[in-house]
Amino acid sequence: MSVTDIVFILTAIVTVGSAVVVVVSRSLIYSVFSLLFTFFGVAVLYVFLGADFLAGAQVLIYVGGILVLLLFGVMLTHRLYNLNLTTERFQPIAGTLIAAAVFASISLAAFKTKWKLVGERELEPTTQQIGEAFLSSYLLPFEIASVLLLVALIGAAMLVRRRTDV
Amino acid sequence: MNLGNLDSLSFFYPELILLGGVLLVVISDISLKGLRVRINPLLTLAALLLALFYTLQTDHGSAMTLFEGMLALDNFALYFKVFLLVAGVLVLLGSLHSEELASVHQGEFHALLLAVTLGMLLMANSAHLVMLYLSLELVSLTSYIMVGYLRSDRLSNEASMKYILFGAVSTGAMLYGFSLLYGMTGSLDLFAIRDALLAQEVGGFNQVTLLLVVVLTTAGFGFKTAAVPFHFWCPDVYTGAPTPVTAFLSVAPKAAGFAILVRFFLGGLSQPAGEQWGFISGIDWPLVLIVVSVLTMSLGNIAALTQNNLKRMLAYSSIAHAGYILMGAVLLTGTGLKAMLVYLFVYLFMNLGAFFVVTVIFNAEKTFELQDYNGMFRRSPFLAVAMSIFLLSLIGIPPFAGFLGKLYIFGAVIDQGLYWFAVVGALNAAVAAFYYMRIMKHMILENDDRPPTPLQISPLNRALLVLLLVPNILLIVFWAPIDRWTANSITLFGGL
Repeated sequence: MSVTDIVFILTAIVTVGSAVVVVVSRSLIYSVFSLLFTFFGVAVLYVFLGADFLAGAQVLIYVGGILVLLLFGVMLTHRLYNLNLTTERFQPIAGTLIAAAVFASISLAAFKTKWKLVGERELEPTTQQIGEAFLSSYLLPFEIASVLLLVALIGAAMLVRRRTDV
Repeated sequence: MNLGNLDSLSFFYPELILLGGVLLVVISDISLKGLRVRINPLLTLAALLLALFYTLQTDHGSAMTLFEGMLALDNFALYFKVFLLVAGVLVLLGSLHSEELASVHQGEFHALLLAVTLGMLLMANSAHLVMLYLSLELVSLTSYIMVGYLRSDRLSNEASMKYILFGAVSTGAMLYGFSLLYGMTGSLDLFAIRDALLAQEVGGFNQVTLLLVVVLTTAGFGFKTAAVPFHFWCPDVYTGAPTPVTAFLSVAPKAAGFAILVRFFLGGLSQPAGEQWGFISGIDWPLVLIVVSVLTMSLGNIAALTQNNLKRMLAYSSIAHAGYILMGAVLLTGTGLKAMLVYLFVYLFMNLGAFFVVTVIFNAEKTFELQDYNGMFRRSPFLAVAMSIFLLSLIGIPPFAGFLGKLYIFGAVIDQGLYWFAVVGALNAAVAAFYYMRIMKHMILENDDRPPTPLQISPLNRALLVLLLVPNILLIVFWAPIDRWTANSITLFGGL
């Protein structure tokens, strides 16, 4: 086992393990903090795939932006500990069965499908390629993404509007 | 023909106009304090009508792709663009005199209506998985906001929240399906995916994986079209949302969902063979969709039987109609596709009409409960007759337009020799007749003790009702143009 393999396995354990904590933790604070490790783990996985820009963006946006927002949100809630976050209808047997079926089918698909492989690639910076793609073949999605953000902004403005302001 | 970014712009006027409209409405909403209430609806209407005008003007010759293969411009896309813009205009007119929306500031509503229409136009055109996902998200996100538009209304908030949760899960599943497809074909372009699948002779375990892809992507499309088993959000969201938004959701995003469903499955996972399509061997997606279709119409109709809230009943009824429409898509024939387009066109007018009557009655009575509709015929004969026509049309009773839709759909199914499928559809139509008739019974036959005070309908609402009634009554006579238009509209890029 090479060093790369060991690092990969460690990253995978941290990513999945912290994701489990996010779901099962009874305290919102713990959930949010373990989400930090999940985000970092995903960023490391991107590095393994040779996607340097994506890894950087992941850290900047998810860790730097979204996680901090989540933390603020959590700080502003009333009760932080011993929350009962499960819904009224809790179906352990059906849930476990469905989860097992989904896990089995997806992992079987991952191992047994004949993927279209591109072979080993040289590691090279991707930022320039991404930039060029955004301004050539992916120009329209790039612009529509900005419309999507505009709509999100309008929605946020609507939510914070004063109730009396008709 | 594939056009580059700059050349594509001349075929992109409708979308550009809508985008300009969004910005103008936002600006006028901020700057014109006194006038904005009057100006914004006019701006929105002007943008929609201008976009419709340019869409009708589009002369694209043969089918082609725009923006480096991101969008496909073909007759099929044009049909949906016209459909969605007309739906946008009708919903806007219906929202103007709605008491529910009158209590809140409407500037954002108009901007959002234009943005969601833009998203739906892009959805109907998408020929690339990135574009498809992005436009679907644009529509979903805008719909979440529109559903939760009544901020101080608990039901509206709850509906919005449920919609977001279900939406996130189903688009997540859909994206996972896309990623599997990308892994197998190495491409995001629908037509390149098809060529790659045809070239590699799908076999072995890849068949199972592709079936997984079909199921996962159906989750995404099924969410948009409210098909069983991805319909759980539908009754609650339709009940909680402001009625004009509910009317909108039950028609326009549903139609756009069917457009991408057809484009994905017929464009990406099938190949044209003579008069019809054949699914790429090993990926029996029609079978999956037939199961979904049967479940959708049966469950929708049976659940609607016991509802006493009009909005909830119409929500289940719109689920059932998604099942009928899906019947046309799974046949893999031109007639099936044409039947689907005819049905959608008819459905636009009858369903919007029914929801609009509900809006008008809510304006006066503040209720959606069925027993409060008692004696409506004595209070407003016009409204009761209009509702009856919309309902008879929804059942599919001649001489109203709904009959035409059912005729085309069942005819196309029987053409393919799927008699059991047609029988299931007919049985469902019979069940549906029961609850639609129940509404009519309450409105016309049952009277309560209260004196019949006349119901006030604003002139605009009355005019709009007449506008919605005309196609329902006349289409059965003037069906030839619709027949020609839809027959023309089944040309798909890279298809027949």
